[in-house]
Amino acid sequence: MSTLTIEHVTKSFKTTQVLKGVDLEVDSGEFISLLGPSGCGKTTLLRCIAGLEAVTSGRVLIGERDVTHLPPEKRHLGMMFQSYALFPHMSVRENVRFGLRMEGKQSKKEQLEIATNALERVQMAHLADRMPTQLSGGQQQRVALARAIANTPSLLLLDEPLSNLDARLREDMQIELKELHRSLGVTTVFVTHDQEEALSLSDRIVLMNAGVIEQVGSPDEIYSTPKTAFAADFIGAANLLPAQKRGSSAITSEGGFDIRIDASEADGDGQVMLRQEDILIAARIEEGTPYPVEVLTRVYRGADVVYVVDFAGKHLRVIAPGHAEQLSMGPAAIGWRPLAAQWIPGAVPTT
Amino acid sequence: MVKSIPLLAKIGAVLLVIAVAVYMLMPLVVVAGASIGSNRFLTFPPQGFSLEWYTEALTTDTYLAPFRLSLMVGVITAVCSAVLGTAAALALTRFNIPGSGAIQAFLMSPLTLPTIILAIGALSVASMTIGAPNVWVLIVIHTVITIPYVMRTVTGVMARRDPFIEEAARTLGASAWNRYRLVVLPVARPGIAAGAFFAFNISFDDAVIALFLRTPQLETLPIAIYGQLEYSTSPTVAAVSTMMVLLTVVLILILEKLIGLGRMFVS
Amino acid sequence: MNERTRKEPLLLLLPAALLLLLGFVTPVSAMLLMSVQSPAGGFTLDNFQRLFDSGYNLQAAWRSLRLGIVQTVVTILIALPLSYLMSRASSKLRSFLLIVVILPLMTSVVVRTFGWVVLMGPNGLMMKVPGAELLVKGTQGFLGTEAGVSIAMIQVLLPFAVLSILGVVSGIKPQLEEAARTLGAGYWRSLWHVVLPLTLPGIVAGASLVFVLSVSSFITPRFIGGAQIPVFAQTIYVDATTNLDWPFAAAQAVMLFAGVMLVLIATARLGRTKG
Repeated sequence: MSTLTIEHVTKSFKTTQVLKGVDLEVDSGEFISLLGPSGCGKTTLLRCIAGLEAVTSGRVLIGERDVTHLPPEKRHLGMMFQSYALFPHMSVRENVRFGLRMEGKQSKKEQLEIATNALERVQMAHLADRMPTQLSGGQQQRVALARAIANTPSLLLLDEPLSNLDARLREDMQIELKELHRSLGVTTVFVTHDQEEALSLSDRIVLMNAGVIEQVGSPDEIYSTPKTAFAADFIGAANLLPAQKRGSSAITSEGGFDIRIDASEADGDGQVMLRQEDILIAARIEEGTPYPVEVLTRVYRGADVVYVVDFAGKHLRVIAPGHAEQLSMGPAAIGWRPLAAQWIPGAVPTT
Repeated sequence: MVKSIPLLAKIGAVLLVIAVAVYMLMPLVVVAGASIGSNRFLTFPPQGFSLEWYTEALTTDTYLAPFRLSLMVGVITAVCSAVLGTAAALALTRFNIPGSGAIQAFLMSPLTLPTIILAIGALSVASMTIGAPNVWVLIVIHTVITIPYVMRTVTGVMARRDPFIEEAARTLGASAWNRYRLVVLPVARPGIAAGAFFAFNISFDDAVIALFLRTPQLETLPIAIYGQLEYSTSPTVAAVSTMMVLLTVVLILILEKLIGLGRMFVS
Repeated sequence: MNERTRKEPLLLLLPAALLLLLGFVTPVSAMLLMSVQSPAGGFTLDNFQRLFDSGYNLQAAWRSLRLGIVQTVVTILIALPLSYLMSRASSKLRSFLLIVVILPLMTSVVVRTFGWVVLMGPNGLMMKVPGAELLVKGTQGFLGTEAGVSIAMIQVLLPFAVLSILGVVSGIKPQLEEAARTLGAGYWRSLWHVVLPLTLPGIVAGASLVFVLSVSSFITPRFIGGAQIPVFAQTIYVDATTNLDWPFAAAQAVMLFAGVMLVLIATARLGRTKG
């Protein structure tokens, strides 16, 4: 059974169509990420789910209930905002109690107890009497999370909740968020523009671009078998080479190299995708069929080294282990294991 | 900070501060000083010390009745412009209204129009429609000229809020009524209070509109002082004036506490 | 979004808008109408003709214009260094100066004027300032002189100029001056070439505000200047309340209104071209 169903939702602001027909089913207890560049419509989609934006057409169902025309206050969900949106005039405890207070199902004492429990889940119970302005960004973030889960919503919506934290804290919070999701089991929709965040947190990723869904799949599927050039490029910054497919070979437009690919797709124009970490680079490669390149730039990063190489006029990014032989500028060779090169059909976008 | 400021600039700055402080405060100090001298003729520096002018000011009807009127007009004006100005500011800051710039300019326009022009118009309209100005005419005009100040303070506070708190309240199940009661108004409160106190100050101190609209039954405290100034400058007027200055000082302290003078006055 | 959210801002704006219609639009239009209405109810420009024929009122108008310009220039000249100083001062000094500036601003005009009357009398403290006689050409005190009027007016005009300029000058990053200094500009040259040009919008806004307030004031000029040197706003007041000649008072007010609008529009234009 799916907890959240989105049926051909479109959304227009005046003359611009931000969502161009989105269909999506989210299973109960699933952690799903809406991933895409800014302006792709991911936040608008989340706000449509929350009811903060009215859809132009289509339906939104939470469980079996059609909530398309319900205002957000009747949808019974928890939402966490990018800016946290804590009420500045209420203590941490009162912030977390707010949803329970609105529902009014329990006595005040019980509400405070539940609020304290929620704060304990995010290790913030000891600061319950503070005002939000007295908290650090990370602490505010935890309080906002506690507030969103306090009245056990059927759906948890997170709008780029980690983007205002510094890198170190963000990593810690990713782990905590994942653990919290596991223990609560609440269906979660997570909006992010950070592909690493989406890859490490999600059960499934919904990749969006220009108001449509490009691809839906598990992090592994999305990463290893992107269906479009956009998906390949957005996730993991792929190297893309325009080419023409004939059976199991792709002939690159520049240089005319023959690259072996999976033959199952139809012949035609498209691109060969090579992940930067799949490419081997060395001064000389003995086995297989190495390709000659020219090393242009080397960036040492400790754990690894990034090379920019010239491959028949096309610049490729290659990641080599930090402990490997250091190459200097000039001729070198690259290669990859069989079928590491992916075929992405479709004409090359002119951007 | 830019270091190595020339000596000339430093000396100039010190002199400027002293000169400005003396220039700005002297008239007020003089009034306060004149109010505590024992001489019936107004002198400064004061000769002797006496509080009898304060007793006189607080017991004669010359000032008490106008004081009560000013207080009433000031309080009603403050409440009215707080309500109307807040409502307008909340509309303009929380919604995308087509033509909001024009609406805002319209509501703020009493700020740029010289008060004397509004006053003369108000006098003629009141005289032609209801015979003579009454206290409600005064309150309406005072409310009109103070609404911009409330709008400014409330807009200032609302501009600094997290714009998503209302949406957060919605997702947490708060109805429109609860959103106003528990989120919007509490957040706007310092701005509303500051605007109301400022509106009171303007109404309580206004002499221009009150002068045009004055009738024997409609004499506010500044007009009572104005009337005294036309004939004599007794220490009693000084005592009344000093109390008005003290009230202003109290209001400034309240404003400083509520939203800070810098935020209140420096846009 | 939905029905309710379209009505909500309207309901919030309506009360204030209606009150403004009653207490602002109506009186101002009534005044405009009155200035061009003949006693019989028709259209006339007689009231304006009278203004141009009347030496007394016209002279008052010119005096207002002249005093307005003088007061604006002097006010800005004091406000400029003062606001710059406030923006770069320690927070303590800044708060002190803010209170010094705001206290007179929030004090009733009658109280302030009263103080000046006491100070400017023949035996007042002001006459003991060295050089005072030169300014007023005699020993009768500052009362009844244009110098006296301007000194008293600038006290209340200064806060408006300071607040206008302070808002702008506070936004100028000190790093800009530091950059100018590292590029070889001295202290004064960095002020002249960097700070002053950036302060221009504040100066223009402050100057127009000060000028408008100056030409429409009449209580301070009345008590300091007296009947011998009437200003324009004062003749309007006398015609409206003592002579009960409303159409004539209205015509003068319209002239004042037109002058003020001219200044405001010019300022807005200037602000726009400056970006």
